[in-house]
Amino acid sequence: MVRVNRMLLRDGGVGICKTLSEILVCPLSKQPLRVCEKSNSLISDAISVSYSIVDGIPCLVPNDGKIIEADDTLKPDGAIDSLDRKREGQGDSP
Amino acid sequence: MRALTGPLYRILLQRRTSLCTDNSDGFQSSKVKIFDRHLKRKQRDRAAWLMRRKDSFVDSVAENLLDRLEDCKKTFPTALCLGGSLEAIRRLLRGRGGIQKLIMMDTSYDMIKLCKDAEKDVSNENIETSFVVGDEEFLPVKESSLDLVISCLGLHWTNDLPGAMIQCKLALKPDGLFLAAILGGESLKELRIACTVAQMEREGGISPRLSPLAQVRDAGNLLTRAGFTLPGVDVDEYTVRYGSALELIEHLRAMAETNALLQRNNILKRETALATAAVYESMFAAEDGTIPATFQVIYMTGWKEHPSQQKAMRRGSATISFNDIQKQFTGGCSSS
Repeated sequence: MVRVNRMLLRDGGVGICKTLSEILVCPLSKQPLRVCEKSNSLISDAISVSYSIVDGIPCLVPNDGKIIEADDTLKPDGAIDSLDRKREGQGDSP
Repeated sequence: MRALTGPLYRILLQRRTSLCTDNSDGFQSSKVKIFDRHLKRKQRDRAAWLMRRKDSFVDSVAENLLDRLEDCKKTFPTALCLGGSLEAIRRLLRGRGGIQKLIMMDTSYDMIKLCKDAEKDVSNENIETSFVVGDEEFLPVKESSLDLVISCLGLHWTNDLPGAMIQCKLALKPDGLFLAAILGGESLKELRIACTVAQMEREGGISPRLSPLAQVRDAGNLLTRAGFTLPGVDVDEYTVRYGSALELIEHLRAMAETNALLQRNNILKRETALATAAVYESMFAAEDGTIPATFQVIYMTGWKEHPSQQKAMRRGSATISFNDIQKQFTGGCSSS
């Protein structure tokens, strides 16, 4: 019974569960993250990168982060590059 | 910050990356890229589909690792499980270690999804599990927030293993435990030999087919370099028997242990592959036709420092001298 309730609570709304929100930080800058309801993502303000949340699971791999442009719209651009990889536009899969 | 354009931004991000690992070399950490992490993610995605439940090798490694939790009286309310065979750890946990909150982390989204779906089949034991997709080399965990970090057969694919371990240590609370199992240098030595021989015969040269693996003597150094106290290393060798060399490869695929070296040769000619299988079977086959494969697993244990842990005493603080001990044993005659 309790198990079902826990899973519902996690997936029901936008964002992530409480345990994760207390523990997770940005993988690059180690600064706290904030949840952005509008785009369903975690934003690291220190380096202006947003990490998407898919199905309640935050995706905090540096390569998947998107750099937020100055005008606050999300542009699909790899946040961390490595010279031997071309990553163009990592879209969220709904 | 937001006004910076592309290249400048990336330099800044690279500098920030190097701040994540404790490195006295200054800004640029030793970014030796051996493994292709992007390919490894894809392989793990595939392995999520190919994975066998109740794989005897993976299960015995996970069981051995989890057994160590029972060796200490301490409980670990918050735990992080890093990559490797996540699903086996979760299934075999059985309430050991007093874990209340378990965070499962892996670079592959499909693997995490698999674990999340498998959550219903596992007995609850009142453990609250959360799932994160993240990279072991860039740990997205706040400092001093975990009691336990477990990694079963995952860390031998990191480019910067000392850096990953240092980040784990930072994420641990004082008196927190770090438990890891990685594959050691002796693993798959038969396959290494067979590949080399076959490639020399067929192609006249060799390209790396097996990744460089840690030696046992390096494991202790890794732990002390990362700053763990009371380090413990032990080794176990598992010999798994297969019907043919191709079954071994299938098993490696299912465990996401296939080649992800940056220097790999993307082409494997059919003749070379068949030659490798033939060499393997002719050199190493047992009487009943099965072939063995050695997996050497190195188990590493380390604790984050805490005042309650035993330490060597300060120089000059001795209360008993050797003379006294000598008197004790030789019955009262002190010489020289």
